[in-house]
Amino acid sequence: MAQTAKSVIGRPVQVKVVQNGNEIAATAVKQINYHIMGYYPITPSTEVAETLDSMKAAGEHNVSMIPGDGEHGAAGICYGASTAGGRVFNATSANGLLFSYEQLPVQSGTRFPMVFNIVTRSVSGPLDIRCDHSDIMLAMNTGWVILMAADAQAVYDMNIMAPKIAEDMSVRLPIFVAYDGFFTSHQKRRIEIFEDAQVVRDFVGPFVPTASTVDPANPVTIGSYMNDPDYINNKKQQAEAILRANDVVKRVFNEYEAISGRRYDVLELYRMEDAEAALFILNSAAETAKEAVDALRKEGLKVGLIRPNLIRPFPIEEVRAALKNVKGLVVADRQDNFGAYGGAMAIEVRAALQGLADNRTQIAAKVFGLGGKEFFVEDAVAMLREAVEIAKTGKVEVYYDYVGADPGDSSYKAPKAFNPLSEAEVTGLITVEEKDGKLDVKGNILRNLTERPSRITQGHGACPGCGLTASINAFLKGIEGHVVTLWHTGCGMIVTTGYPWSGHRSTYIHNLFQNGAATLSGVVEMFEERKRRGEIGKDEKITFIMITGDGGHDIGMGPSIGAVMRNHRMIICEYDNQGYQNTGSQLSFTVPLGQSTSTSNYGPFQRGKGTHHKDTTQIFAACNSPYVCQAAESNPRDLIRKAAKAQKYAEEGVVFVKLISLCTLAWRVEERIAIPCVQAAVDSCFFPLYEVERGITTINYDPEEQGKKIPVSEWLKTMGKTKHMLNPEMKEALDRFQAEIDRRWIRLKEMHKNPYL
Amino acid sequence: MSESCEKVALPVKNDLGFFEIRMESIGGLGANVAGKILTEAAIIGMGMNGAGFASYGSEKKGTPVKAFVRVCEADTKVRINSPVEEPHILAIFHEALIRAVPVTAGATPGKTTVILNTRKTPTEARDFLKLSGGAIGVIDAMEIARATRSRVNMVMIGAIAKISGFFEWKAVEWAVNDMFGEKYANLMKGNMEALRRGYEEVKIEEFPKDGKYEYKPFQRDVPKYGYETAPIGGVLFEMGNMRFKDLSTSRTGIIPLLDLSKCVRCGDCDLTCPDFCFVWEKGIDPKSGKEGMILRGIDYQYCKGCLRCTHICKPGALVPVKEAEQNIEQITVKHKFLK
Repeated sequence: MAQTAKSVIGRPVQVKVVQNGNEIAATAVKQINYHIMGYYPITPSTEVAETLDSMKAAGEHNVSMIPGDGEHGAAGICYGASTAGGRVFNATSANGLLFSYEQLPVQSGTRFPMVFNIVTRSVSGPLDIRCDHSDIMLAMNTGWVILMAADAQAVYDMNIMAPKIAEDMSVRLPIFVAYDGFFTSHQKRRIEIFEDAQVVRDFVGPFVPTASTVDPANPVTIGSYMNDPDYINNKKQQAEAILRANDVVKRVFNEYEAISGRRYDVLELYRMEDAEAALFILNSAAETAKEAVDALRKEGLKVGLIRPNLIRPFPIEEVRAALKNVKGLVVADRQDNFGAYGGAMAIEVRAALQGLADNRTQIAAKVFGLGGKEFFVEDAVAMLREAVEIAKTGKVEVYYDYVGADPGDSSYKAPKAFNPLSEAEVTGLITVEEKDGKLDVKGNILRNLTERPSRITQGHGACPGCGLTASINAFLKGIEGHVVTLWHTGCGMIVTTGYPWSGHRSTYIHNLFQNGAATLSGVVEMFEERKRRGEIGKDEKITFIMITGDGGHDIGMGPSIGAVMRNHRMIICEYDNQGYQNTGSQLSFTVPLGQSTSTSNYGPFQRGKGTHHKDTTQIFAACNSPYVCQAAESNPRDLIRKAAKAQKYAEEGVVFVKLISLCTLAWRVEERIAIPCVQAAVDSCFFPLYEVERGITTINYDPEEQGKKIPVSEWLKTMGKTKHMLNPEMKEALDRFQAEIDRRWIRLKEMHKNPYL
Repeated sequence: MSESCEKVALPVKNDLGFFEIRMESIGGLGANVAGKILTEAAIIGMGMNGAGFASYGSEKKGTPVKAFVRVCEADTKVRINSPVEEPHILAIFHEALIRAVPVTAGATPGKTTVILNTRKTPTEARDFLKLSGGAIGVIDAMEIARATRSRVNMVMIGAIAKISGFFEWKAVEWAVNDMFGEKYANLMKGNMEALRRGYEEVKIEEFPKDGKYEYKPFQRDVPKYGYETAPIGGVLFEMGNMRFKDLSTSRTGIIPLLDLSKCVRCGDCDLTCPDFCFVWEKGIDPKSGKEGMILRGIDYQYCKGCLRCTHICKPGALVPVKEAEQNIEQITVKHKFLK
């Protein structure tokens, strides 16, 4: 982060820094000092919020950072905030953008500007976290202005220009700044920034609202129901505004050049002066392709490259002018508009040339680099050579094609790892009987259960000492018969899959974590319906289990509650590792007060997470699920007993099981002392072991009665992530946390005593 | 570094103008941070240009990871983003990686200097890595890190800086300070010592391309399935094939050792093991004479060395020992998956 001074006469001082695209986006946001960032973490954009949160803890800015319950919630936070008269920022990627999609036309259609960084990534499924443009191109037609930032320097520059464009009174639209996931977001580069944030603030100017929801002296109605006489007029008005943005963008680009010395055009034309063949390509791949242009120019070929900085509004006139003398053009898209014979840019460029009397440009569309597939200089060379060939012959041999796809080796035969689990291998160890209205479990003997094969296999990629694979394996040991598991996105899903590998012996299905419970509902009901129709034997038995992290019960809480309300026969098992550990330990709502995560940093200006931990188990209990419980691997026989009971109660409806699951990496606990750490969480009554059977609460292990109850500080001191909780300045937070644990524990004890509570 | 520097020229560079470094490591050893430090040292400390990045993905502790640094002269633009295939310096942070990853691919005699964190001599290292030839540097980074109470990455940065022939000591020292100084001031003395020892103690030897081992070019991943052969939709029918993976590279020196004479067959280890390494079979219990599940041993192919089991084992049948002092092939007991 250090800097070396550079002064250019007549311009504000700029300094050099070494940052990646995400960090530099955060730096721009810090310098602008937005009012609000509403966000939800998703790779590879997460680091923007993390960096800003860490800066906030150090007192470097006043941006109010608000984590949503999901991207849809985050978009709602941003929308609300933008109606209330201030400057708003968000960053996301891939399915995060799609989850917020429904809000995008709301934001643009009601004309509230904000800036949204899209760190581009391929859209699931299958789930791939790396870069392509399938996310941003799905948002092309939502009424937002779209700037494309080709490298980290552009990420900084465009983030400073973006609010000025969006807030211009002739535009008043939200704006995207899109840059390539990982290639741009995660590579450390040399970047020049303004030394004095005031320069940036002066350039952007104060936020001037057109309407405000928080001004009682001037009340407004935002979001009227609007019928057909009016709606089309609203859209025409909006359509004109986004077209006007073309001129505003050019003006702001010029103004920015004046203070920065860095020039941007709506189309960057690289060696296009006399080019007869060219490549039209976006962002980081375009930078790589310039090397190819240089190489072919050395051979004497008249080739060039067109790279748009602005794709909405689409700069039609500039594209036509740029292609005036180009005979052969390859348009390469890092996404596909399936069934449309080309990606988004291919379609736009073809449309731009449509109807031009003197058009000489023949176009071949290429789809490349999907899901982060590397794009090498030689790939660009091949594309340019094809453009040269088209220019020479005047013919396009292949109108639309994929580059870099592999047909595969037909002789490859996957080696067999296992036979399917037989009935005998998974039954006959545990029995559950109902006696006097209570379930009695026999056979939860660890030694005997070593005979039962793990349903998760050896060879998975979890960290050494991982609590979730140990806990979920223990849970599955308690289940008799065949299972089908649905895994939410998260650590468990990532480390047990990874094409073409599978770490599962029984059928596994993934869906994104905002929708797992609904998905499994569908599986369960199809199984039942096919049984009713005689397509599946009526004696066939499968236990359906959804496995989620605690994060999946932030974003996916709604569908889980919906499933409980519908009484499907399934188990929801949550491994609670206290944060979004798969993506680098961001705050989840189960993180306790004062604790430090990468989005609730502890520092002189921020004292970790500001709210208490969510009591997910009690939420499910309040839904009158037939069975909810909490269990921990420190008490393994209790855990297995609860798995067996959960399976039995799942015959009545959705049951909920919460397992506290140690994350050695995020909790910063030495792997070998995993069990004592979990035991301390239990003994401090932070994580009581209890169950609620048809509404009746039973505490299964009472540390108080056994003389083992410890203050919560005893648990906190076992973890690196919470050591700061014992600092003198955290005394008040620690006391509040202890008081909350005590309150919940006392309440639980009363529930244990009284079957009506 | 507040003063601007004189322009530094690179001693060697590739066609695009870069001096390139590739680091092969596992998550947790700090290769990514090492890359960031070297990038900062070059750009801010020495006024050059460049890029620093790591292989992209879910970075779990113990999984193989690559970090890359590209350095170029101040006026050269960095326009490519692809990983480094034929590096000028190839730094291998973790010896055991060669079991799972083709770490030496692209190591080119006459161009690449390989640096290995090892106790081996350069000759032993050459045979261990089966290098076709070229310069090989060895450094016992683990031991230096232990002695200085620092980390492996500091030692490796020192060694890389030395071998590069252009990294200025002051710039590297400054970049380390900039990364850690404020936050971890108490560790700085050790870090600086580790850095210096890496710089001074790396031993290099040049080997001719004598035909002893074949040159291994860098090969880009070729997927097992392609668009003509893969079942549609990414559906997999080969369940549980992760068991073919070798996870022993996750270990960093210590393993659990089982003394069956002390085992009481309680099953605690089996349930606490996140990697399902314990091999049990039906048999006759030597104590009770009855039929029951008997622990046979540990399948070390999957053991990541977390040592949870050594902590949970009440009778003390499982104890932590140094892996280097054991013959893993002899003590491992393989799972029987296909019966």
